[in-house]
Amino acid sequence: MSPASTRYKGKSGQWAFLGHRITGFLVFLFLLLHIVDVSLVRWPDTYDAVHRLYGNVLLRLFEVGLLLALLFHTFNGVRIVAVDVFPEAVRNQRRLLQAVVALTLLAGVPGGVVIMWPFIEGRIL
Amino acid sequence: MSTVEAPRKRAPRKRSAEAWSWAFMRLSGLALVFLALVHFSITHIINDVVETDYDFVAERWNNPAWRLFDWLLLVLALGHGVNGLRWIVDDYVRRPGRRRAAMGLLYGLTAVLVVVGTLTILLFPARPR
Repeated sequence: MSPASTRYKGKSGQWAFLGHRITGFLVFLFLLLHIVDVSLVRWPDTYDAVHRLYGNVLLRLFEVGLLLALLFHTFNGVRIVAVDVFPEAVRNQRRLLQAVVALTLLAGVPGGVVIMWPFIEGRIL
Repeated sequence: MSTVEAPRKRAPRKRSAEAWSWAFMRLSGLALVFLALVHFSITHIINDVVETDYDFVAERWNNPAWRLFDWLLLVLALGHGVNGLRWIVDDYVRRPGRRRAAMGLLYGLTAVLVVVGTLTILLFPARPR
């Protein structure tokens, strides 16, 4: 369902809005899962068994995705606050969004390599 | 000659709930920049994720400051997330009945997770096994 009232054609601003929503939603879903898996720490062996799964390649890829979502949501959120505080900044909003994407990749790609490192080294499948 | 009437006293400006919600999103968001990125860096970048096992948690939670850090992260992240999801439900779930159901589910789930998370941090024994 796509109600007309929430669809707007704001070019870069529209993509920033959509990206912020999607990444926020995904990070929230992960948060729900994460609170449940940490609550297993009351049962050390169960916690360790479940926790080992996070070292698996598929879940490492998922963690890289989480990092990218988190970084985009963070930098875009800072952009939103910056525009609230300095309304003049809206004139450069296209460039601000480019900076958000650049920072996300600048921090996210090296971070992703670190997370995937055991796989890159061939230590895990 | 016409005179200008003295301005009437302005109605007392009360912030609406939405204004508070707006301010909360900015403030919690800025706090989460620090809390969430430090947390992710410690558990995925500085340490490999497989190293953050039971012993790792036990050692960290021996320090009450880390328990407070994790609890603030828990509460602010859930608060920020639930409010964001409220906006999403407002935008896309149009039928009143479904909207009530979605919000009920969302608030119920969040309340349960605040309690589960808080108890997990609070009741963890102070010394590792």
